[in-house]
Amino acid sequence: MFEITSVKAIVNRPHFIKPKLARDIRRLERDILRMGALVEQSFRLSHQALIARDLSIVKQLPLLEEKIDRFYKQIELECTSIMIVHSPNEQDLRCISAFMQLVRDLERIGDYAEDLSEIAVKLFPYEAHPCIPEIAVMSRHAQAMLATSLGALADLDEVGANSIKSLDDAVDEAYDRVYDTLANQRDIQGSVEPIVLLALAIRCLERMADHATNIGKRVAYIVTGQRT
Amino acid sequence: MLLLGIFIGLGVSICLWLWYSIQFHRYFGRFDYSKRKSFALGWRYKFSRLKERQQCLEQQLFSLQNLLENAPLGYLQVDEENQLLWCNQEACQMLSLEKWQPGQVRLLLEVVRSYELDRLVEKTRDHNSSQQKEWVFHPSCENAEAMLEQKSVVLRATGLPLPQGQVGVFLENRQQLLEISQARDRAFSDLAHELRTPLTSMRLVVETLQDRVDSPIARWVNLLLKEVDRLIDLVQSWLDLTRLESNPATHLKCQPLEIKNLIDSVWESLEPIAQRQKVQLAFTDTDNAWINADKSRLHQVFFNLIHNSIKYSPPNGVVRVEANVNIPLEDKNQIEPESSLLLEINIIDSGVGFAQEDLPHIFQRFYRGDKARSRSIKGEGDSTLDGSGLGLAIVHQILTAHGGTIKAMNHPQTGGAWLQIHLPQVMAKSVVQDYI
Repeated sequence: MFEITSVKAIVNRPHFIKPKLARDIRRLERDILRMGALVEQSFRLSHQALIARDLSIVKQLPLLEEKIDRFYKQIELECTSIMIVHSPNEQDLRCISAFMQLVRDLERIGDYAEDLSEIAVKLFPYEAHPCIPEIAVMSRHAQAMLATSLGALADLDEVGANSIKSLDDAVDEAYDRVYDTLANQRDIQGSVEPIVLLALAIRCLERMADHATNIGKRVAYIVTGQRT
Repeated sequence: MLLLGIFIGLGVSICLWLWYSIQFHRYFGRFDYSKRKSFALGWRYKFSRLKERQQCLEQQLFSLQNLLENAPLGYLQVDEENQLLWCNQEACQMLSLEKWQPGQVRLLLEVVRSYELDRLVEKTRDHNSSQQKEWVFHPSCENAEAMLEQKSVVLRATGLPLPQGQVGVFLENRQQLLEISQARDRAFSDLAHELRTPLTSMRLVVETLQDRVDSPIARWVNLLLKEVDRLIDLVQSWLDLTRLESNPATHLKCQPLEIKNLIDSVWESLEPIAQRQKVQLAFTDTDNAWINADKSRLHQVFFNLIHNSIKYSPPNGVVRVEANVNIPLEDKNQIEPESSLLLEINIIDSGVGFAQEDLPHIFQRFYRGDKARSRSIKGEGDSTLDGSGLGLAIVHQILTAHGGTIKAMNHPQTGGAWLQIHLPQVMAKSVVQDYI
């Protein structure tokens, strides 16, 4: 259906495309990857706060979140202005619209990372729960998914983008397992707060993994032009 | 008419030829060929020289590239759109650039997702000057199982602006250095911990002894007590320093402070020494500043600094302390959520000042400068420790824990030491007025 199979191909067609538009799309891609690097960083920090109980880094997260938010707004505005100024053709439009959706997913992951760090602060006074190691594995899976989706975006690699789905299944299974462990806990002494907080944490992680899958799907859409 | 046309055409072409040949001669004028008499020989000579020169340059370029490729430092170069043009083996290894193939032109962020590195490149280009940054680099990992084994490294990058918007970046791996210095500091503080208990017992024993001995020996015992106290102080200072460094926030008890009050109380405790040396204090506070800080820690800072100034001032000298509130000229891209006002405090004396070669090191622990001069140079000694070499390191650490900075210079007019302190968290002036 579509002849062009990657953004690179679109970008590198000097004869068919206005060079200004190609440059703008390239700049857009660069900003998205910058934002992606920040989101990865905040995910990494929130993991450390939650799993290693390292509260000294919690302060950094709102700062990162602020930067991510600024990027999100800026990229969205740029996308709109490219659409208005250049009136791009179908393929470019597809690429830009996918970018617009994709930054939303990235921004959501950043938000959840901040939520996770807040949960980590509230969890701190309680003893470490036995299911923390499993949550750590789940969080690492979700981080790997984010890295894969950003890698797929950088390479415009359809195969990589589609491989995220299988990783998502691993996260979903872990979510169910941890949920069962938490839900079926008996003879709770003291407050139920740690259990509630952990349930919220796995919910956040599951959502983050979902958004990473979405990013993968959008990359596949840019490459193939088919929405799955 | 036709003839006229031909002549004009001929004239124009001769002019053009002459002009070109002048240009050509001007270009080749750099080479020494003028002595050649024969026209044809001259040309041949010119070409052979040009070829030689080209070969020479190519060889030079090749050897330089080879050097850079095999350098023990990482090096990479990006174009004006932040696309990676080239990087050497070491940089490939440091940044785990498996995806990148030589000759490929890709966005730097596509091959290595490091926000810090990208920022450094941008900053170097914007400022058009060399920039340096140190950060912890986490290689991105797409495999959850391998993530556990993934090691982060501390990298130091130096960006250099190149022509046409290109930027060259040198990368150094600082991980090992950092680990070594951390291990050293840990060993030192462990040692300090171990020393503290026996020292405290020693002090108790000496104190008991003091009451039980008679005058000739009592003098020795008093001396012993003094030295033990000095040792305890040293150990305590080292522990303080380590604690402040490892976790600054939890060891500070911040409260609103009036700078004038603080300096007055420091001066009060130093007055006996000042009177002995006949040194005066000249304090000016143009903005009547208040600041949110740890009172006893800042007292320690100013006590150490002003005591040093008194110690090295000539008799009848003046120690100047000047405080004012500034708006810093900092990088706008950096997010600084705290108040943007800075309190500047200058402490200036009219002593001998610092030796030029000591200036970069005086805030290091146990730095002593030139041993032969160590008694005459400022900055080695410290009030409570009297030359332990930790005083200024503690001052530096306390100010860093407050988010502030300290700079040491020699004052151009007095020739004495000039210490400039910057502290954030200045309280609003309107509030200040209400307090008074």
